[in-house]
Amino acid sequence: MSLFNSLIPTLGRQAVKSEDGSSEGIGPSVKPVYDIKEAKEAFGLTVYLPGVAKDGVEITAENDQLRIVGRQAWKQPEGWTALYRESPSVPFELVLDHDNAIQPEKIHAELVDGVLRLSLPKAEAIKPRKIAIA
Amino acid sequence: MRLIRYIHPGTRSLAPAYGLSGRSPWTGLENEIDQLFESALSGFVAGPSRTQFPVDLYEDKDNTYVRAELPGVNRDDVGVEMVEGYLTITAARKQKDGDNEESVSFSRSVSIPDEIQSDKVAAAYQDGVLTVTLPKREEAKPKKVSIEVK
Repeated sequence: MSLFNSLIPTLGRQAVKSEDGSSEGIGPSVKPVYDIKEAKEAFGLTVYLPGVAKDGVEITAENDQLRIVGRQAWKQPEGWTALYRESPSVPFELVLDHDNAIQPEKIHAELVDGVLRLSLPKAEAIKPRKIAIA
Repeated sequence: MRLIRYIHPGTRSLAPAYGLSGRSPWTGLENEIDQLFESALSGFVAGPSRTQFPVDLYEDKDNTYVRAELPGVNRDDVGVEMVEGYLTITAARKQKDGDNEESVSFSRSVSIPDEIQSDKVAAAYQDGVLTVTLPKREEAKPKKVSIEVK
């Protein structure tokens, strides 16, 4: 396997990444679809988490990283046979580096119909400032 | 006279030192391979395709179920249609971004394997997932026939 990893660099790097603890505890996960928009005062982050209810979302901000984990609330009922599947059966996980450009304590989040919207207020340090000439 | 410059066996290797830049001659190839794999594996990530939504197909004894992941759409903009063995789901997502309003529409048809009762199809939308329940026709349901052994 190590030979295979050395032949295909992407595989090798992914293996290393999962070992350094970035996805500790939750096991395999998929990256959800998301987009980021920048406004004057804040960044707007939209993450699409279909099938995730409010209590399945976990947002943590630490070490210059914003981590969002979404666990699907729905479980396949007994007696149902999957004929064809496209959706992931593993939780969603999104890790973004914010590099202290935001104020983690002022993050506002809301989840409606599987869409998580976060408002990430910019840190004072990166806001544009006008300097008056004396 | 030799056309090929003699290289001392000790300095010959698969990855010769390319000057002082320290750049491996395989860098370009590695990137190529990375890109190849990324494009090939991108289908497994829920990411790139934004106009085609994922669909799951389940069945049990009485019903066939279709689950479609449609986060953030308005219930009024979801259309479910059953025509000649194909279930068509259409949806639209409207996003307000300040003054601009952008709208994305989705559509997908799924072939339904069993004979179903088209008039009894039901749909529910929760947490961004649309579940369509398609009751099977009586003749498509598995039947138990007990035969008496004489």
